[in-house]
Amino acid sequence: MTSESDDHSISSESLIDVNLLKEIAKKALVDALNSVNGAKTLVLDPSLAGPLGLVTEVSVLKHHGVDKMFWLEPGALSSTTSNIVYLCRPLITYVKIIADHIKRHAKESRKHTYTLLLVPRVSTLVSQILEEEGVLGDVTISAYNLQFIPLAEDVISLEYDNAFKDLWVDGDETVIYDSAQALTTFQKLYGLFPRIVGKGDYAARLTTLLIRETPKSSNSSSPETLLTPSERIDSLIVLDRRVDMITPLLTQLTYEGLIDELIGIKNSSVELPASLLSPPAPIPAGPSTSSSTSNAPLTSLKKESKKKHHLTTATDPLFAELRDLNFSSVGRKLNRVARGLDENYKTNLQSKTVAQLRDFVGKLGGLQTEHQALRLHTGLSELLVPLTRTEHFNKSLEIQQNLLASYEVSAQVTAIEDMIAQGADMQTVLRLLCLASITAGGIKAKVLENIKREVLQAYGYNFLPLLLSLASPPLGILLPNPLPSSAPASLAPLKYPFTTLRKSLRLLIDDTPEALDEVENDISFVYSGYAPISVRLVQCVAQKGGVISNPAEKAVAEAAGRNRPTSQGKVQAHPIVGWRGFEDVVATIPGETIDIVQRGSGSKVPPIASLLQPGEKLTTTVVFFLGGCTYTEIAALRWVGRQNKGRKFLVVTTGIINGASIIDSIAGLGKSAGASKAAGI
Amino acid sequence: LSLEEAARISDPNSKITAVKAAHKFFSDDKDRAFEAKMMDEYSRLLTVQQQLEKESDGKVEFFGASVNETMRRCILNGMSKRADKIKADFKVPEKRFWHMKLHALTTLGDFEALDAF
Repeated sequence: MTSESDDHSISSESLIDVNLLKEIAKKALVDALNSVNGAKTLVLDPSLAGPLGLVTEVSVLKHHGVDKMFWLEPGALSSTTSNIVYLCRPLITYVKIIADHIKRHAKESRKHTYTLLLVPRVSTLVSQILEEEGVLGDVTISAYNLQFIPLAEDVISLEYDNAFKDLWVDGDETVIYDSAQALTTFQKLYGLFPRIVGKGDYAARLTTLLIRETPKSSNSSSPETLLTPSERIDSLIVLDRRVDMITPLLTQLTYEGLIDELIGIKNSSVELPASLLSPPAPIPAGPSTSSSTSNAPLTSLKKESKKKHHLTTATDPLFAELRDLNFSSVGRKLNRVARGLDENYKTNLQSKTVAQLRDFVGKLGGLQTEHQALRLHTGLSELLVPLTRTEHFNKSLEIQQNLLASYEVSAQVTAIEDMIAQGADMQTVLRLLCLASITAGGIKAKVLENIKREVLQAYGYNFLPLLLSLASPPLGILLPNPLPSSAPASLAPLKYPFTTLRKSLRLLIDDTPEALDEVENDISFVYSGYAPISVRLVQCVAQKGGVISNPAEKAVAEAAGRNRPTSQGKVQAHPIVGWRGFEDVVATIPGETIDIVQRGSGSKVPPIASLLQPGEKLTTTVVFFLGGCTYTEIAALRWVGRQNKGRKFLVVTTGIINGASIIDSIAGLGKSAGASKAAGI
Repeated sequence: LSLEEAARISDPNSKITAVKAAHKFFSDDKDRAFEAKMMDEYSRLLTVQQQLEKESDGKVEFFGASVNETMRRCILNGMSKRADKIKADFKVPEKRFWHMKLHALTTLGDFEALDAF
């Protein structure tokens, strides 16, 4: 473990400093606020509160003249200040609410100055609506360009909740445009991506946008960085979510992933029972309390006795070690840390001389924070354990594993039916169904019809639109087999060649549980034996050896034993040469394939040769997930990063997702759930 | 989609109308036979639920619930005959029905009925 943490310290030096992005976001917000003079009332789009919390603190807002804050909600708005600042995403419903506010105020003949800050940019649609409502003249519209937000030192995200649904269900491509914008900003900071590799139709769309953006801005006053390929970044890998639908449908098994599955992580905060967080000993500024107070005035919405806890590795080094572990080994790890801590306390108590005592007192603070972190994570895993012991959880895991191995598919479908009968979660059932459909290339039409009927009867007919959107292009992840002849032609090429991929990308690995615990010898550890396709694809580009055979296995053989020094297993990262070697495999996956070298339009001809021989230089490969990625994929990518010398990964995504959140967003839950409940009452 | 509209409407009668409209849309397209059938069932269910609410003098909420939920509420309120009838009407498979009934009876604590299995 020590060697691993050494790795971390090395990587943090050389890795691109993503906090720069945070500073930019913060500064932009402050500037936007300062553009309005005097005290102001801030009206906030609830969906923005989380992302903003990651960028700034309430105190900062207060400092810049924010007097009061409200949620953007229908109904009357009373404000004591003359300035009202709205901060929201450009959604029609929000704009309607705002227009309503303004009209009410006009009726009551109160004078306010309205400023509308749209995130991330102004859209003409908004001003159109305001014009229709007849209030356009009263509002100043500008944009607050909130782009990538760092979630961890190697993860940055746009934090769009509905990116997946927007793209694949509604066909709304705003996300692509915004992503391209954000990536351009990124390039301005760190230099041009020397090479762009990608897979998927929307990924292709994004790349085209990105490339078109670059020369346009480089004509005149663009910064130097846009003209020359970056030294520190060797490539951008764009994967759109449609390329790998299987992975998010599976239950995540890493610590962080499992927390997300079972408790839910939103904007990298998790809601926990307060008793877990408040320390019993009077430690005034524990890491958990300090971070939750920053959100305190914003938290009128959350349930009682639940507290938000910001999961971050900055204040919680233990979490850094835990988050990517398979849950089965978390317990042991916690145990070991606890023991170490215990011993530390003991040795310190034995200290006799004054010098030793002073030493001890010095260390005490550190020990206490560690102690607290330990308490938190032990409690958290205690919360998780009973949830992983439930029948439904294990049954669905079993079905998942069998489906991945294409083992008795029809029996699995029957098992899914049983789960419906037993009243399992709608999300769980649909995840399994989609998984069955993808892995088996469709479910028999008769069976599928039957099971859809079951779903509708058990969970309500209002889910029919959900089933329809799962089945229709461009998503098409719940299909009958064979396809009816009348099906739109666009569906046919969407079929996923899972069984061939399983072989060519070595997706399934027979791991004995012991082997799993001893060495995390392949990315498949994250799903206890299944390697995420998305990450395998990244390996195709960045670690070719890892796809075909197992570098760690070889290393194990060499070291002949368990005490394998990590460095020995490491291969020097090879340069990025696109999909070379895997063209055939990649071609079988639906969607366009991208491989572009960006030379930059500056006078300097980029030294491609130097790109091909990275030597000892450290480079970063940026992996962009269009449509969101899961915590588990991040964990797997971190693992890949550890296997190679000289290459680190930076995960960029539109948002963190999991199977349940995908299904929820497509079902339009949250919005329509309230409506249908209202219908019931 | 008029179905999404239907989901938002809370007034019983207009909701049924909306669902029926959706049914019509689906039956116009012959590839959507399944969806049409489902919508037909949906409107039938809503009608049954209306009746049920009347029978229980508005004490129990039925409207808008799923088939499972409707049957469960029937049993919970001592109307297990009605639950059986819904089961037959909507061709609910035995397996699902018994699971549901088991759970419902357990929440009731009705061990005599449980014994009668």
